[in-house]
Amino acid sequence: MPQKQDVLERLRSSVINGDEGAVRLATHEAIDSSIDPIEIVEKGLIPGMAEVGAKFERMEAYLTDMMMSADAMKAGMSIVLAKIPGEKIRRQGTVVLGTVKGDIHEIGKNILSALLTAAGFDVLDVGCDVPASAFVEKAEEVGAIIIGASALMTTTLPGQKDIVDYLNSTGKRGKYSLLVGGGPTTPQWAKEIGAEGYAETATDGVKLALRELEKERRK
Amino acid sequence: MITYLDVIRGIHTGRICSERDFDLKTFAPKLRELLKAHDIKYDPENPVPADDGLADDLWKAAKDFYCDVGTYCLDTERIVQFDENEIAQTLKTAPREFTFGEGKQRKLLTQRRPEDRTPPWCFLGAGGAAVSSEENLLRLVQGYASIPVINSLTSPALTTVDGMRIVGGSPLEIYGAIRAVGLARQALSRAGKPGLPIMNCISTASSAIATIAASQPQFGLRPSDGWLCGTLAEMKVDYGVLSKGAYLLSWGANVCSETAPVLGGYAGGPEGTALVNAAYSILGTVIQKASYQLSFPIHSNFQCNTARNTLWAISLSGQGIARNASLPVFMLGYMASGPMTEMVLYETAAWVIAAVASGTHIEAEGVCKATHVDHFTPMEPGFAAEVAYAATGIKRSFANELVKTLLSKYEDKIKDAPIGKRFGECYDMTTGKPSEDYLRLYSKIKKELEDMGLEFKY
Repeated sequence: MPQKQDVLERLRSSVINGDEGAVRLATHEAIDSSIDPIEIVEKGLIPGMAEVGAKFERMEAYLTDMMMSADAMKAGMSIVLAKIPGEKIRRQGTVVLGTVKGDIHEIGKNILSALLTAAGFDVLDVGCDVPASAFVEKAEEVGAIIIGASALMTTTLPGQKDIVDYLNSTGKRGKYSLLVGGGPTTPQWAKEIGAEGYAETATDGVKLALRELEKERRK
Repeated sequence: MITYLDVIRGIHTGRICSERDFDLKTFAPKLRELLKAHDIKYDPENPVPADDGLADDLWKAAKDFYCDVGTYCLDTERIVQFDENEIAQTLKTAPREFTFGEGKQRKLLTQRRPEDRTPPWCFLGAGGAAVSSEENLLRLVQGYASIPVINSLTSPALTTVDGMRIVGGSPLEIYGAIRAVGLARQALSRAGKPGLPIMNCISTASSAIATIAASQPQFGLRPSDGWLCGTLAEMKVDYGVLSKGAYLLSWGANVCSETAPVLGGYAGGPEGTALVNAAYSILGTVIQKASYQLSFPIHSNFQCNTARNTLWAISLSGQGIARNASLPVFMLGYMASGPMTEMVLYETAAWVIAAVASGTHIEAEGVCKATHVDHFTPMEPGFAAEVAYAATGIKRSFANELVKTLLSKYEDKIKDAPIGKRFGECYDMTTGKPSEDYLRLYSKIKKELEDMGLEFKY
């Protein structure tokens, strides 16, 4: 029987290496070794992803590394969740993330998505060129606490305000924190439209999400 | 030779592939493999490397990369690829000279080489940043056009029409684009340069429909201007980009292959960013039939390209392209800081010296990351042009020392760079002249550069 620490370390390393096959193998091995599924997640999968996030911030890892690690982590997570109810796994919360209508730039959003995953959030990426209603409908569907909207052009910035307007018109404004980012977005614009926060970088976006999560937990 | 219709055929018949698979299973592994095989390594001690072998290696790697990876079309979810011989033939037979402008401002654009004694083409202005009013656009463009060595204009973008914020895809975008074109032409006339080409058409338009609508000759644009047709990160196109190209090429207009690899994104670190930037030169010729490449590698954390590793990527890819490609390449600088700060002039000097010594032309420039409305003035591109002329003909080794000295003055401040002043706070809006304070600041920094050994031509 392999040592528990060895298995968890192998799991963590496989996530860091973005090796989905190795993560699946190690996850099954961990389960077969009767390691507590919550430990598999909290001492294997999540720390692996967190390490990749930290490497990105040091510019030792990049977007594709993070995406492959996120895929690998999710593969392991899906195996674990089949064994235990999802509520037993402590997650940070769910974020709906997308690029607003008329805009197809998404690299910044993708970086943020990977960093939020690394920080323990569940991220639903609704893609790009997304109308305001679609952000809100997805947030309702998945029980999100945060909506993140990216815009890379001055002409598509209004799409971020559209989300605020849609939330107000449907009486749902108080349910979600709206965080905005992307090239032409500024703190002044975020304040003007009534967004909860503005992130200049993906790293700032994670800090904001954690701040909003804390506010939500104190409610 | 690969024609534009061959490209269009290719986006509808090429290998089917999801975007995610293209990014993670085609693009990323090939990039990693070629960087290792060609031993391309970032050297922080030499932000302006002087190694022709390394530059040529980078170009070889970029060619291999492009031949293998191809170009991804988002709308058809297919990869358009051509074989190595077709690509080589297309590159060999591609035009090498392109004419811009009219009358006294008409000029031929060709490729430069590293350490070239010919000054770079100075494509000057706002880098497409946004203004709050039509009056500001007029005053700014007149100011840019008054820069003595300007060869073409990069016009600001309007944000409103009659007080209504311009929304992409709406009629306001078309109105805004048409107005911006008319205003820019009017301002160029006021400056006595009616024939000056506008090479960032159309900054107020984001969609293909607005670009094409506002490009109609009755609104002021001519085939001798230049249109930005932006690729998407990384190595991707869509119907919008290609539709603009279809219209412009049919008119005989100049297409710009606008490319902005993200350092930290799919292109990875500085080595990958440099390789991808060079590969874009090939995409620009083969796919877009471009007259020029406008490149601005961007740091994902800093949203500028004056950080040390981004300057290295700019310099090395610039050298690789300049030494091997026929498509003239411009580097566009994005400063972290804003007007009326020492930092903006240090950043400007650093990237311009790196770019010019590496053999590229310059577009100057995005100030304050081009994110703050009205936070840019004619001083910054004007200073960039002076530095560009001073840096013409200098050795890369000297450029390297200058850039390292300049980096020491600002690189630890990039993350919290000062946004500086708005246009109206450091310029007289009636006369269009800079304030005395800004002139003093400019003179101080210029003197510092002279003391470092840079000889200004004017």
